[in-house]
Amino acid sequence: MNEILRMEHISKQFGDFYANKDINFDVRKGEVHTLLGENGAGKSTLMNVLIGLYQPTEGSIYLHGEKVHIESPAQAVRLGIGMVHQHFMLVEAMTVMQNIILGDKRYKGLFINHDARRKEILELSWRYGLNVDLEAKITDISVGTQQRVEILKALYRGAELLILDEPTAVLTDIEVEGLYSVIEKLKSEGKSIIFISHKMREVLHVSDRVTILRAGKTIKTLEASETDGKELANLMIGRELVECEYRKAEATGEPVIELKHVSYNKASKHNGLNDVSLAVRCGEILGVAGVDGNGQSQLSQIVTGVTMAEAGEVVLKGCRVSHMTAADFIEKNVSHIPEDRNRMGLVGNMTVEENLLLKSTQNCAFCDANGWHLKKKAMRAYAETMRAKYDIRCQSMEQEIRSLSGGNQQKVILARELEASPDLLVAVHPTRGLDIGATRYVRDTMIEARDKGCAVLLISADFDEVLQMSDRIIVMFEGKVMGEYSGKNPPIQAISLAMAGK
Amino acid sequence: MNWNLLSEVLISAVRMATPLLFVALAELYSERAGLVNIGLDGIMAFGSLVGFLVCFWTGNPFLGVLCGALGGVLVNMVYAFCTVTLAGQQIVYGMALNIFAPALASFIYRVVFGVSSTLAQATLMKTVSIPVLKDVPFLGKLLFDQTPMVYGVYLLVIVTAIYFNRTKSGLNYKAVGEYPKAAETMGINVVLHKYIACILCGFLAGMGGAYLTTCYVNTYSDGIVAGRGFIALAAVIFGRWSASGVLLACLLFGFFDAMQLRLQVGTDLIPYQLFQMIPYVMTLIALTIFGSKIAGPKSKGKPYYREER
Repeated sequence: MNEILRMEHISKQFGDFYANKDINFDVRKGEVHTLLGENGAGKSTLMNVLIGLYQPTEGSIYLHGEKVHIESPAQAVRLGIGMVHQHFMLVEAMTVMQNIILGDKRYKGLFINHDARRKEILELSWRYGLNVDLEAKITDISVGTQQRVEILKALYRGAELLILDEPTAVLTDIEVEGLYSVIEKLKSEGKSIIFISHKMREVLHVSDRVTILRAGKTIKTLEASETDGKELANLMIGRELVECEYRKAEATGEPVIELKHVSYNKASKHNGLNDVSLAVRCGEILGVAGVDGNGQSQLSQIVTGVTMAEAGEVVLKGCRVSHMTAADFIEKNVSHIPEDRNRMGLVGNMTVEENLLLKSTQNCAFCDANGWHLKKKAMRAYAETMRAKYDIRCQSMEQEIRSLSGGNQQKVILARELEASPDLLVAVHPTRGLDIGATRYVRDTMIEARDKGCAVLLISADFDEVLQMSDRIIVMFEGKVMGEYSGKNPPIQAISLAMAGK
Repeated sequence: MNWNLLSEVLISAVRMATPLLFVALAELYSERAGLVNIGLDGIMAFGSLVGFLVCFWTGNPFLGVLCGALGGVLVNMVYAFCTVTLAGQQIVYGMALNIFAPALASFIYRVVFGVSSTLAQATLMKTVSIPVLKDVPFLGKLLFDQTPMVYGVYLLVIVTAIYFNRTKSGLNYKAVGEYPKAAETMGINVVLHKYIACILCGFLAGMGGAYLTTCYVNTYSDGIVAGRGFIALAAVIFGRWSASGVLLACLLFGFFDAMQLRLQVGTDLIPYQLFQMIPYVMTLIALTIFGSKIAGPKSKGKPYYREER
């Protein structure tokens, strides 16, 4: 079989840190070769080296047996390498067609020949089954369609080697099926694909070969047909993984927070709530399932006091909440793991220690004179205890929090939010973007909090997570609650249908 | 108000709008590549001095305008190097230009002419009438009896509109301001585009400055720019980052400027400073109404470095 790409002894250094160290990797024509690894294993860095966004510190790249030096993404495009990034590289203010022809150097002339380009793109989209409306703006199309645009963009530039960086992370189950058929089609046309993922199931489904990366190094390359999920998982995390099942809570207590016919921005299907009623009780996890963007963000903001309901009643610990701010909710012992940890949960440029104590600046254990003077020593000691207790891995407490990995950032938030032993914990996508180890940790910690009597509202787009952890499940669709289900032996079929609005 | 008076105010409005238009277009090219340049006032001040000096020495206003524009490019290269190559904060370096460039201009002027009470005077650019068309009643004098600079700037508005809306190159240029990383992966040279944007911005803003000393008044004095750079900045926001919008916004601001001049002449009772406020007040009002909505190139104001993690 002929090899089209070989990367030899690739290393990439950022400061003192090796994101990639001595990596060997190759791709053959017409195969799907998966790069498997946890977050921070160096998959994205390796691919950014391949497409010329990063320059490798050491190592060489061979394309079709010839040594190449890829200096810029433009050159990678010319060499027939196309990448579909995890965060899409689409200009939102432009149309699908404008995005596809962006930067195109094959045709001379000052003006855009719309008709000719359209014909060419439509031909491609038909050949690979990638249907898109060329005149639609990127902001108006779904995430799945945006991904098709990205693939089309790469093909339009004549990509022979396509890199798909965690392509299923943002897709619904149906869209994932669609992606699989596109991949099959691409393979049959002789294109090669590098598939990046950390989900075992899909890796075994689509790959011909799998290369496992761990901590920036290549661990092993395997034929997909000769391995199984367990072996891959163990190689990936470097230790034995035990499957787990959480015990569901039997008895629950008084409701901590109740929503009665709450509406907010009712007209919007994707950013509003429409007549939502629910209650979260002591010692239970109420899971909110649903495809992202069906009002979950608004729900989480209302139950944490960030925004106020426009209609209906919110009752927190028996008091009606009408004019309360987020600070009042915190006072009432409500904790929040926000949906976007970088934007809402942490202050990126502040240190780990400072982020841990963001909510405790008035606590007299850490300051004198009503917060005018901080007790640095007490803060440090506290932070060090948290570091040990929550297994936060960082170089020092003085490190800027944005330089930590996603999993460790989330642990900082957990430490801050759970140390107060909250009465209500609102956790929104608590494991999004985390690797297996960190996910497991976050979930265990939340179950532990529940067992201590905390009421937990778990909002997640990860259906498996909701099923695994919830004692009761509700489904949200277009701002409405579609139904409530038991967390014990949940009716999966019915819940899936409810998620699709049926 | 009779026809003559209206015509007079409108002609004056067109003349007032011209420097604004040059500078607003300069900012448009800059912001479309993601660079918010608040140093327009500084670039203009330097351009106006260079334009004046060259015009004074050679007696050729056209050469003056050209050199003023080149002077603007020179000054803006400081901004370009700091914000593009060093990926510094755009507002900081824009402000630095505002402080540094007018002071430099003032210094050079004093070195050349010394401190004296008499103002050096240079030749003004002559108007060029377009035969036949200029005799069209009302519109003739308004549109076809102006300096070549005025014709030039309107041509530039049209060219800019076509460039951004119709051409491949314009599409790529806009992508740099919207999402530079995406542009980079599409094989567009982001750094090159940003430098081109700075050259264009410096050139046009310098030209706008030189217009003041070669077409508007025939002398240079400190503070001649009088915040026009900031009004142009507002015009870009008001004009929703499009060439036609910028044209309308500048004409509107030019009109208010002309009106306040006219009103100053008309009355003794009200202090003229009150009228002088009008264009600035209108700028504030326009920004309050239109500036609040998030719009414009998405990555404007953000430094770009390729190997960011």
